[in-house]
Amino acid sequence: MKDKHIISLLESAPLAELSESDLSAVRAHAGECAGCRQAFEAAQIAALLLKGRAAETLEPSPFFHTRVMATLRERQTTNEQWAWSRMWRAAGALASSMVATVAALAVLTFAIPSQVTTVTPETTALSAYSAEEVILDGESDDQASDGQVLTTLYGAEEDR
Amino acid sequence: MVGSRFPRGSTIPYSSTRERFLSNSYEQASDLELARRAHEGDESAFEEIMRRYSPRVFRFASRFFRQRSVVEEAAQEVFLKAFTELGSYEGRGSMEGWLTRITTNTCLNLLRSSKRRPELTVSDLTEDESTWLDNHMADAATERHESSERSSAAADLAGRVLQTLSPDDQLVLTLIDGEDASVKEVIEMTGWSASKVKVQAFRARRRMREAVEKLLAPKSRAGSKHGSASN
Repeated sequence: MKDKHIISLLESAPLAELSESDLSAVRAHAGECAGCRQAFEAAQIAALLLKGRAAETLEPSPFFHTRVMATLRERQTTNEQWAWSRMWRAAGALASSMVATVAALAVLTFAIPSQVTTVTPETTALSAYSAEEVILDGESDDQASDGQVLTTLYGAEEDR
Repeated sequence: MVGSRFPRGSTIPYSSTRERFLSNSYEQASDLELARRAHEGDESAFEEIMRRYSPRVFRFASRFFRQRSVVEEAAQEVFLKAFTELGSYEGRGSMEGWLTRITTNTCLNLLRSSKRRPELTVSDLTEDESTWLDNHMADAATERHESSERSSAAADLAGRVLQTLSPDDQLVLTLIDGEDASVKEVIEMTGWSASKVKVQAFRARRRMREAVEKLLAPKSRAGSKHGSASN
């Protein structure tokens, strides 16, 4: 053990938890190896520092509880305000989309004029063709009056 | 949402005879009962939880930070977090353990967000710290030292050396080597695996020792020069 460096042994556990046999091996080796002796001294100082730190404690101030409760209430108020503002924002978006929909419907209903069908020769010809089909089609007889049929036929011929 | 549980404009606890009477029932109530009441919006129940556990939370947080203001900030954050998570406390483990876990995580987060010192050299030490180091170097050589000596110079120096290490190193060294916590306890506090705790502790000890060696090296050189001159 004397020839084996003991640094890994120093790092394996807190110094205070090393067994007596481990410690005696460390001491024996440190007596002969300058590097390990330095490491052993540093490990002891490090252990002392950590213990020294653990011995120092702070107690809460008398106003600590009051301050925590005040912060809690403050956060509560902020959260409430945030929730309200979020709700208002959501409601605002809903209302504006509804207004936009109503406006679009109003424009479609009132502002755009209804389309007027102008009779052109082409459309009349098509109509005539359709009328002939209607006449030939027995089922449609009941739906088209005689006057409509004649107007369609002769009107189309006059145009030609 | 945190807030709506507390009635607005609620009275300050213990301010009336009735509340003073009620405060007795709070003192006798179990942790679980207090947690349930506090979760339902009872401010006094939460104050009782703070009264019981704030010294412990403070002591624990002061292991990681030296400045009172930072310790207070950490402790406050712990109780604010605890309040929001009261619903998750089911009384399976102790409230102390539950709060210690929250404190550990809060302190670790604060350590991670705080600035890390790149390196500590002898010239950075205060006179008290330097004297403490000189005295204990001699003690270390002869292994004469009191294990838990109360010294603010040691605590300050420990804080400064720890600041050069990573937050995880600081945590594991403070808990295992400072607080004598077992690996199992650290696992419970941090949620780390056993191997992570062991490896982290091993490496942290090495880094702490190396940081201390850097402080000792110039002093030992000066000591040996002084010794050879006197010889």
